[in-house]
Amino acid sequence: MKMKPERDYGLVDILDRLLNKGVILNADLIITVAGVPLIGLSLKAALASIETMLDYGMLEAWDRETRNWYKNQLMERRPRLAEDEVILYKTFGYIWYNQGLISSWRPGFWYVTNERIFLWRREPDEDLFETYLERIASVKTGTEIEFGKDREELNLEVEGRVARIRSSDVPAFEDAIRKALFNPRHQREPELGSWG
Amino acid sequence: MNEAMKEGRYIYSVVSSAVESELGDVGIGESRVYLVPCGEIAAVVHSCVAEPYVTKDEEKAKEWVLEHSYVIDLATDRFGTLIPFSFGVIFIGDDDSVRFWLEENYDLLKEELEKVRGRSEYTVQIFCDEDLIKEKIVTSDPELLKLRDEIEKMPKGTAYIYQKKLGLKVKEELIKETNRLAGEFGVYIEELVDEVKIEKKVSWIPDKYKGMMMIAAFLCLVSDGNVDALGNLLDGIDKREGFSVRFSGPWAPFSFVQLKGT
Repeated sequence: MKMKPERDYGLVDILDRLLNKGVILNADLIITVAGVPLIGLSLKAALASIETMLDYGMLEAWDRETRNWYKNQLMERRPRLAEDEVILYKTFGYIWYNQGLISSWRPGFWYVTNERIFLWRREPDEDLFETYLERIASVKTGTEIEFGKDREELNLEVEGRVARIRSSDVPAFEDAIRKALFNPRHQREPELGSWG
Repeated sequence: MNEAMKEGRYIYSVVSSAVESELGDVGIGESRVYLVPCGEIAAVVHSCVAEPYVTKDEEKAKEWVLEHSYVIDLATDRFGTLIPFSFGVIFIGDDDSVRFWLEENYDLLKEELEKVRGRSEYTVQIFCDEDLIKEKIVTSDPELLKLRDEIEKMPKGTAYIYQKKLGLKVKEELIKETNRLAGEFGVYIEELVDEVKIEKKVSWIPDKYKGMMMIAAFLCLVSDGNVDALGNLLDGIDKREGFSVRFSGPWAPFSFVQLKGT
């Protein structure tokens, strides 16, 4: 046995959705009814008077947990940012990794934020490289000959070491870093990975 | 159209469609509703003056809202699950303004359309018989049961005070119990749906549920393939003694589309 969803919408059900839910945009190029007493006012007032409020206790805790779960699900697909940290540039790219016997280009997503530059790998979730902007001593582009062809790369000097970076558009990446460096925000202790 | 009246586009929804087409004169005030495509998506709009829809006539206002709702239903039938817009959103400008906005927010809109594809919004409300649960609370607690028996033998004045006390205690337990149940049902429902939200304010319930206590109201984004399974689960809850479930839908995903940053 199963229950079939009913289409027994009351008019109020429809009004509620169309006046209180659905997409409203906040942009200069549109007129919206958000917060403005246009047609909806008397209807909204009518709705408010018949709202059924629920008693909450544990249900609220459950709700919070559920929401957090979804939030975490979403977060897993994105790099962790500090509060107020803003992504300025993002590109797919590599870092030269050299530790002991292992040396290779490691792929991930490069992010330039108003605080840091980091290379983030989605799976497993890890920052392969990270530095705060104020630790960067210099930014240079260089070329490396690979398979007989010149290949551009970005060299980032941090604390006496040089990180070798590749991406599809090196000049744009360099430009993004220079713009970010123009206005670094905080002083922090860097955590450097085993690169260089 | 005089100079003071700027051109506008009233938007009903954003759908998955790559081609220009028309829905007919089905919009608000019988306006001609058509698609403004951009890549693989399109905005469903009608052409109007860039002035908000205002009226003091409540019947007129209701009519407009229902017309808006009708266009959303029609577009859903034709293009599948869409991004529904709230009543009264008007772009200032012509089709190009709409196209510009679509272009600017293309990735976000595509992502949201992808998220809701093959899914619809459903409402699940769970009601229970308050007296029945209260009775169960008293009979399952030896102390409360004892207190109730004692109250019967008390003189009227004292009985009144203790009756109040008992009532408060039972009410407290009732909230605990219904929240526990709602949380439990929520966990089951969560397994079968893509996303679930608690509806904090419920605007309307059919007459047949009046007089019952609403213990939970969920908004669920459900894959078409899971609607039957959800129906099964809810049937199980509905059949429990003292419980009743209202399951309604499908709705366009009004509660599950967010366009932040637009």
